Amino acid sequence: MNVAVYLCQENPDAGGGVNLDSVAKYAANLTEVTQVRSLGVRPKLLPESLAVEIGQQSFDRLVIAGDTPGYFKPAFTRAMLLAGRDPGEVRLASFRQHGAISLDETERAKAIVACAVSGVPFWLAAVPKFTTVHADTLVIGGGVAGMQAALEIADAGKHVYLVERTGTIGGHMAMFDKTFPTLDCAACILTPKMVAVAQHEMIDLLTLSEVEAVAGVPGDYRVTIRRQPRRVDQDACVTCGDCAAACPVTVPSEFDCGIASRTSIYMPFPQAVPNTYLVDEASCRYVLSEGTKCGVCARKCPKECIDLDEVVERAEVEVGSIVLATGYDVYDAALIERYGYGVYPNVLTALEFERLTNASGPTGGRIVTQTLQHDKRAKADVWVFDPAGEAPRSVAIVHCVGSRDHNHNSYCSRVCCMYSLKFAHLVKEKLPDAECYEFYIDMRAFGKGYEEFAERIKQEGTFVVRGRSAKVTGADGRLLVRGEDILSETLLEFPVDMVLLAVGLVPAHGSDLLATLLGVDSDSDGWFSELDYNGDPTDTERGGVFVAGACQGPKDIPDTVAQASAAAAGVLKSIASGRGYGSLSGLVLSDIEARARELAGKGV
Amino acid sequence: MATRVNPKLIDDLEQYGAEDVSKCYHCGNCSAACPFSQGSRIFPRKSMRHLQLGLEKRLEGDLEPWLCYYCGECSDECPREAEPGETMMSLRRWLTSRYDFTGISRLFYRSWKAELAAVLLVALLTAIGFLLLGFLGGDIRIYDGPGAFLPSHVVHWFDWAMAGVLVILLSINCVRMWWFTLGREGRESGTHVPLREYIARAYLLPFHFITQARYSRCERKRPWLVHLVLMLSYLTMLVLIMFFLESMQSGPEIDWRVHAFGYAAAVGLVATTAYAMWGRAKRAEAQYRHSHESDWIFLILLFVVAGTGVLQHILHRADLEVAANIAYVVHLMGVVPMLVLEVPFSKWAHLAYRPLAMYFAELQLRAVPSRAPAETARPAATS
Repeated sequence: MNVAVYLCQENPDAGGGVNLDSVAKYAANLTEVTQVRSLGVRPKLLPESLAVEIGQQSFDRLVIAGDTPGYFKPAFTRAMLLAGRDPGEVRLASFRQHGAISLDETERAKAIVACAVSGVPFWLAAVPKFTTVHADTLVIGGGVAGMQAALEIADAGKHVYLVERTGTIGGHMAMFDKTFPTLDCAACILTPKMVAVAQHEMIDLLTLSEVEAVAGVPGDYRVTIRRQPRRVDQDACVTCGDCAAACPVTVPSEFDCGIASRTSIYMPFPQAVPNTYLVDEASCRYVLSEGTKCGVCARKCPKECIDLDEVVERAEVEVGSIVLATGYDVYDAALIERYGYGVYPNVLTALEFERLTNASGPTGGRIVTQTLQHDKRAKADVWVFDPAGEAPRSVAIVHCVGSRDHNHNSYCSRVCCMYSLKFAHLVKEKLPDAECYEFYIDMRAFGKGYEEFAERIKQEGTFVVRGRSAKVTGADGRLLVRGEDILSETLLEFPVDMVLLAVGLVPAHGSDLLATLLGVDSDSDGWFSELDYNGDPTDTERGGVFVAGACQGPKDIPDTVAQASAAAAGVLKSIASGRGYGSLSGLVLSDIEARARELAGKGV
Repeated sequence: MATRVNPKLIDDLEQYGAEDVSKCYHCGNCSAACPFSQGSRIFPRKSMRHLQLGLEKRLEGDLEPWLCYYCGECSDECPREAEPGETMMSLRRWLTSRYDFTGISRLFYRSWKAELAAVLLVALLTAIGFLLLGFLGGDIRIYDGPGAFLPSHVVHWFDWAMAGVLVILLSINCVRMWWFTLGREGRESGTHVPLREYIARAYLLPFHFITQARYSRCERKRPWLVHLVLMLSYLTMLVLIMFFLESMQSGPEIDWRVHAFGYAAAVGLVATTAYAMWGRAKRAEAQYRHSHESDWIFLILLFVVAGTGVLQHILHRADLEVAANIAYVVHLMGVVPMLVLEVPFSKWAHLAYRPLAMYFAELQLRAVPSRAPAETARPAATS
């Protein structure tokens, strides 16, 4: 076999980690290869001159290697035809498709080239060794994805450790008011699942816990989990609330996105699971003073179940599979100064509005603007959401805040269009006289029933303006929104009482650390990389580690739940068969090369 | 009426400097960010759209590019890095080439080599002409007075002749600009601007020319200040040269007024051109981030002209008459191409188009429906 290798890059920025010279040298040393040529980025290919080259050196097979070699295939196929050779012998060595864009790029690229030179598909030659699988599973993240995956696996009778960083499971979905496009009550779907998780005999729920170290091999991981002290006995607490009533410290509530406050000993929300109080060590006076001050909650507790001196514990678990379900954070709207977030009290992020419009939120679901009230303790005037506050007469919703923008995140966050439309509906439903404006760039209503939902919102009288508004300024106590209406080519500038920013999604903080701990790839935006975009959307490069939900990329609830179930299926498949796949990254180049030769010899 | 589109318009515009027009996805951020975008004049997004669609004639009739001062807000905020600010700049170059009836402007903008060659050729001809004049009628050791190498009255006469040619060339281009933006546009939309409006608004021309009041409305004030100093320095120098050349060139007794104005203008010119060149080299500000070759040729010419002007003055004061005469010839080798080529055909032309555009823009708002005699004369529409 007389093989020629052509290296051509399609995207000058892609595959920056692949050392092309090293790949070229490696390819030249392969016995079958008689010629290696580096053609650079997007070369101008002339089939006629290529055909002359092929004819002169009588190549049997051409290998095009590069980030996206398919781009150049037509010219080479034509050249082979012109030279009178078999056009089927143009083989692609795609670095991007086979993952040579992340870990061990150059070694992976060499392996991909070796397989193409032998004429063997990469995925046939690069098969990790099987491992035996421990029957227990670790799920990291207690949002809807983690809960779904844990429940699926536990319902199948297998043991699950569910690790959650905060004091309660539920994640972002627990904060939502309604889901799109069905306008179902989010809590009505979620809380039964939360309770099921808590009560499931096959699920060990570890809240206030984080993965600290991961050791072992695929199928047999030993994971160290750091357990923050809750400082309240989970089993004894009857949630009477006497402790919170006595607590002298108030801080913004995370669950309410800071639009309401909580005490230092608190329950995140009434339906929290586990349904007990916990102490926020970052604000607790007793903890901060190292036991010299306060401690009033412990004295007031009728069940005597508060132990303010509880310390960090570590647990070590042995699991066969790990499901990553760490979800997302919302983009920090203050980074986009022109929208005035943090400057004007009535510019809210989407998540803040979710809490405002939620019946369990600080205003009982009444949509009101902030009012200035005197805070006696702080001795200052502060903006608060008062249930008796004034309802906005007009609301503007700005799409794509921090998304589809090269200055922020260039990707589309997928959920913002739909939740913005949902907001418009909620505004119209609760305040029929209020005017509601949606400023969008493109309306991405891609899911089942989404387009119909978008049409319905338009029918409800919301003004849907094509054109992202660019600026929010304050004027006479109201907010002035300026934007272009693209379709009528007019510049709009009008006052509103409330602006909602449809902030995009970013990977949850700490994802990068977790990726390093687990040896999982993440893409340039920080989302965990799946093994194959189309074929293996829940597997990762690291054997026995799965991804579910938004931690793999922005996703809405239905897709998140579906992917979580799919990840659970992957876990259960490994457990049922008793064997899992090792890591692809654990394979050495010589093994792949040898196997490719062996398969080529068998005529695969 | 059918609209002709030019699908290659974006590609054409690349030669004028615009590179990223096709990236635009029309979110309207730029138009809303622009401090000048108001009422019926919404830009730069609309121009981006017209470019993507290839609406050549519409763009020809647009005044918007001249209403933009490239503060760079739009490009800074553009989510697609489509550089709307630079697109407007490129459109100004493109429009300059459209207004120019000779086609020379088009050639210059599309090939910097052609522009440079023309500059060098004109400089060479200038040198030959003035050296001939000097050696035939004067003495290189004499700077002024009887027997001067380059007698000031001859140079003065030459200046006025050159000014005459330039005014004619530029006027023709200005008339074409009027036709594209008011004449033809009006005919197609069935409107016209009453003559009394032309007269009533005529004050806008000198007003905008002198004050550049519109530029001062940009958020960052420095570019306006630099531009204003440059323009006023240039204007001062122009007045001095056109009306007081004899008293400027002679010496040692120069009228103190001429002297003071001359020095101030020289300092202004050298400082602002040096600042602009430094800014472009360092890409220090939004308006300096992208430089077309024509920008550099223009700036270097201006800097050479200002520098040699100062130099010949110093040499003459220092009684180095031969050196002063040589510097004078080099100075003229810069002045002539700068005026003959840059004013009608390249970047300098904006000195006429900018104030005109603001005048025309005001007039467009005052257009009234024509009585449309064509409508009645034509047979009823066949549709």
